[in-house]
Amino acid sequence: MVGWEYPPHNSGGLGVACQGLTQALAEQNTHIYFTLPYATGLGSSHMDMLDCSLQVGQFGSAQPPFFVYQTSTAQLQSASTLSCSTLRVLPQSQMEAQVSAYTQKVTDQALLHRDSDVIHAHDWMSFPAATQVAQQLAKPLIAHVHSTEYDRIPVGNGSRFIQQTERAGLLVATRVIAVSYYTKELLITKYGIERDKISVVHNGITPLQVTPAVVSSPFITKRPVISFMGRLTMQKGTEFFLRLAQSVLQQVPNALFIMAGDGDLYHELLWSVADQQLTASVLFSGFLRDRQREMLLDRSDVFVMPSISEPFGLVALEAAQRNTPVIVSRQSGVHESLPSALVADFWDIDLMTKQVVGLLTDKQRRTEQVVAQQAEVATATWKQAADQVKQVYRRAFLGT
Amino acid sequence: MSQICLYLELHQPLRLAPLSVTALGSQVTSYFHLATHDDNQVIFSKVAKKSYYPMLALLKKLLVTEPEFCFALSLSGVFLEQARAYEPKILALVRGLVETGRVELLAETYHHSLASLYSATEFAEQVALHTQTLQQLFGVIPTVFRNTELIYSNAIAEQVVALGFAGMLTEAVPRYLGERSPTRVYQSATQSHLPLLLKQAQLSDDIAFRFSDRNWQWYPLSVEQYLDWIAQFGSTDSINLFMDFETFGEHQWADTGIFEFFQSFVTDAIQKYQHRFVTPSTALWGDSSGMYDVPEPISWADVDRDLTAWTGNALQQDTLRLLYSLEKRVRATKDKQLLNDWRLLQTSDHFYYMCTKWSADGDVHAYFSPYESPFEAYRQYAVTLAHLREHLE
Repeated sequence: MVGWEYPPHNSGGLGVACQGLTQALAEQNTHIYFTLPYATGLGSSHMDMLDCSLQVGQFGSAQPPFFVYQTSTAQLQSASTLSCSTLRVLPQSQMEAQVSAYTQKVTDQALLHRDSDVIHAHDWMSFPAATQVAQQLAKPLIAHVHSTEYDRIPVGNGSRFIQQTERAGLLVATRVIAVSYYTKELLITKYGIERDKISVVHNGITPLQVTPAVVSSPFITKRPVISFMGRLTMQKGTEFFLRLAQSVLQQVPNALFIMAGDGDLYHELLWSVADQQLTASVLFSGFLRDRQREMLLDRSDVFVMPSISEPFGLVALEAAQRNTPVIVSRQSGVHESLPSALVADFWDIDLMTKQVVGLLTDKQRRTEQVVAQQAEVATATWKQAADQVKQVYRRAFLGT
Repeated sequence: MSQICLYLELHQPLRLAPLSVTALGSQVTSYFHLATHDDNQVIFSKVAKKSYYPMLALLKKLLVTEPEFCFALSLSGVFLEQARAYEPKILALVRGLVETGRVELLAETYHHSLASLYSATEFAEQVALHTQTLQQLFGVIPTVFRNTELIYSNAIAEQVVALGFAGMLTEAVPRYLGERSPTRVYQSATQSHLPLLLKQAQLSDDIAFRFSDRNWQWYPLSVEQYLDWIAQFGSTDSINLFMDFETFGEHQWADTGIFEFFQSFVTDAIQKYQHRFVTPSTALWGDSSGMYDVPEPISWADVDRDLTAWTGNALQQDTLRLLYSLEKRVRATKDKQLLNDWRLLQTSDHFYYMCTKWSADGDVHAYFSPYESPFEAYRQYAVTLAHLREHLE
């Protein structure tokens, strides 16, 4: 497998998905070589990690573009690591150089480990590498799409280079895996990929070790809590979350809206909150990890994911798993796995307001939704995802 | 021969502890101190070593060697609290100075707040609290008032008149003073007049800001040059040198020669130039040269000498609005701890850290801020206010 990020050095869902999927595949006796563009120093018990570290220094690691989106909490990432979001804001020449350096490193490693049956690539950064390896080893290529440039830059003026890299990888791939039907349709309409070539494999979620209610938390505010968790970017619909806050507050004046995450819209959002005199009602927690993250999801009365375009949206499943009723935008994949979640178009503030207020005021309704969501979460396993991925491997291998 | 009125400000804010959003609803020990690591103590002790101790020692020595030397100090309540907690010897040193009878203490708001702009009740209470504290600690009752950052307006003067003060210190701002000299005594544009002393910005800032500036044409500043400038004024002029106490040793480090400069400045002023040192209550006796009409608030900060350092952007405006909107509810709880916390959140420095002016002033702001950015200052402040609000639900 050709990857780009992996926990704990991840900026978002891609790393988490790679972890869940590889663990489940390994349990089903799949031997995985996993490449990363940086040294984890951690190793892995379920697969062979191949270090394909990029010499970031040669591109001038002291240059601001490498750090612009790096936040204090994200400094877990070593200075020489590029997350997907940092990479995508590099000047094109540097981006190309990074991806091409990675391609070379991965190919070198692959030639040392020739026993792979399938080459499985995760998102555009790894497509060129995986393509080259698949050709050299004459193996089928699986292109797994966790997100596209059309999702990340919803207004449509995303990077041409990235779009071309995505399209080239998808066209040459033996089979394509999309994380949702939502994404599958997008691959067909925007990239012109054949419908039959695309299989949908929804992400799974790792069952909790400890039930949320059992662990005590200091987050016990009496105010109703409505949370957002994700990168603070246009894609995630941050602006609509603020509009929703403004609207809900008309009816529930003591509601508390929390935005967890970091991203290029952070400062703009702070200005917006202060301008609209929302300082008492909308708080920013910064990027949350581990226990802090769990505490926020546990305490939230409603979790809202108003993404403008969201291939999947694993965080909504996590919220559901932690007994929080979820509202997701219709422009997301996760509701295919979580049909009990409430759905609204990301721009439909009126409907979302009704949904939030309904959940805050009607306990019965809230409980029913939480219970129904739990049943759906229980079936959304990585084991099932791994089964489906293996079927895709089989089809690719047999050429059917 | 002129008159020199020297006043030094002693203030240190209580900075916020980094409270988490995910602890909202739980009792937090303090909004300002963490059990594990108290930044306030670290900073206070560091500044004490660099500035408070050496400068207080120098002032003490000069009071002994120069019987004519006198000056004024203003100590914020938040400074006094920290001194008592972290470096109690400072209080003993100040007490020693005050006992000479030649050091005047000025009144200010206990919490070094902007209350004069937002709540007359709160303003009066903080001033009273400060006066009580000076009386308890040093046995004196101040008669002259200086507002936080020398913030002043006609409306504020009305409040100060009502509190019965003999006079007030503020900044000389050309847009209101015109061509007139800041070395005269002026009257407030209020119903009953309040005598005003205005800062001589040029000569004050020569020491406070330019002293170690290598690009300044007078660098390195000699005592003789400085006293020559002062000598150009007449015998009825009062050269009001108002600055931060920390100018000595902290803003201008010891290795710039600031302490040696100050010592020679005082002795030469008295012995060679026969200048006369006075304290504000004496300087205020001068004849009034007319009215100082200030319709919009001014301050001693930044290039514009206005309020934009604290109230210039939306981050500051909305946190201030929110903070003061809680006044009634905070008082209604009759919870002393809560009232005190709310007041400590009024300290002007919290808003100064949120300033986003990126001119030459931005450097000064960044130097004083414990946060990586004004945005983080705002974020943290908003979270702290939410914690406080939990007690009002």
